[in-house]
Amino acid sequence: MKNNPQYIDIEIDKLTNSIINVITGDNFQTVVSVLDNHDLKSVTKRNGWLFNWKSEFKLPDRDVYKLTIEGNPEVIQGLISITERKDHVYMHLIESAPFNLGQNKVYLGVPGNLVAFTCRLAFHRGFEGYVSFTSKSQLIEHYRKTLGAINIGGNLMVINTGSALRLIDKYFK
Amino acid sequence: MVTSKKLLEVDFFFDPKPLTTKEKEMISEFIKTDKEKKSRLKKSREVRKQQQF
Repeated sequence: MKNNPQYIDIEIDKLTNSIINVITGDNFQTVVSVLDNHDLKSVTKRNGWLFNWKSEFKLPDRDVYKLTIEGNPEVIQGLISITERKDHVYMHLIESAPFNLGQNKVYLGVPGNLVAFTCRLAFHRGFEGYVSFTSKSQLIEHYRKTLGAINIGGNLMVINTGSALRLIDKYFK
Repeated sequence: MVTSKKLLEVDFFFDPKPLTTKEKEMISEFIKTDKEKKSRLKKSREVRKQQQF
């Protein structure tokens, strides 16, 4: 079935917030910006990334954003792929950098930052903060608890205005 | 079985499979209903506020 993607003229939103170094507890200011061709060289499976971000980047209906630490734009902390639909923003993929995964992760808060960024974008685009995504079955409860997402049937999840505001408040104070 | 600890380690990976038209409609329908619900709540809150005065 053919998708009906809506293309958007995206401005580079620079949203300053922070992620936390697991060991030191220090906060680092972060920036979310659009992934570019130059970045694709580092986000490869060879470098430990799980998804094929080059393919994702090439899809015409996708916008891929990266999270970096302010003043250190070369090191990508996490990536998110989204599409603007007629009434909300849909999240296709989200991945923390290989060094931000599991028990030995370097920074906390990377995925939350990226989801909160998407919620904020959903407000800016006039969607009242509505964001949706498809969850793996075993993670539905996890997303309900951590994101306040609502399971609307099958594996579909929606973050509504209230939950979006809570996430934005948490990450973009 | 996946333990809650493991779930937290997984962090946030969404399922990258493309949505069907039916799924897209389900999302839009939910959003529409949720907005209507929000609007009704807002109105009833305003009515209650007016009644208090």
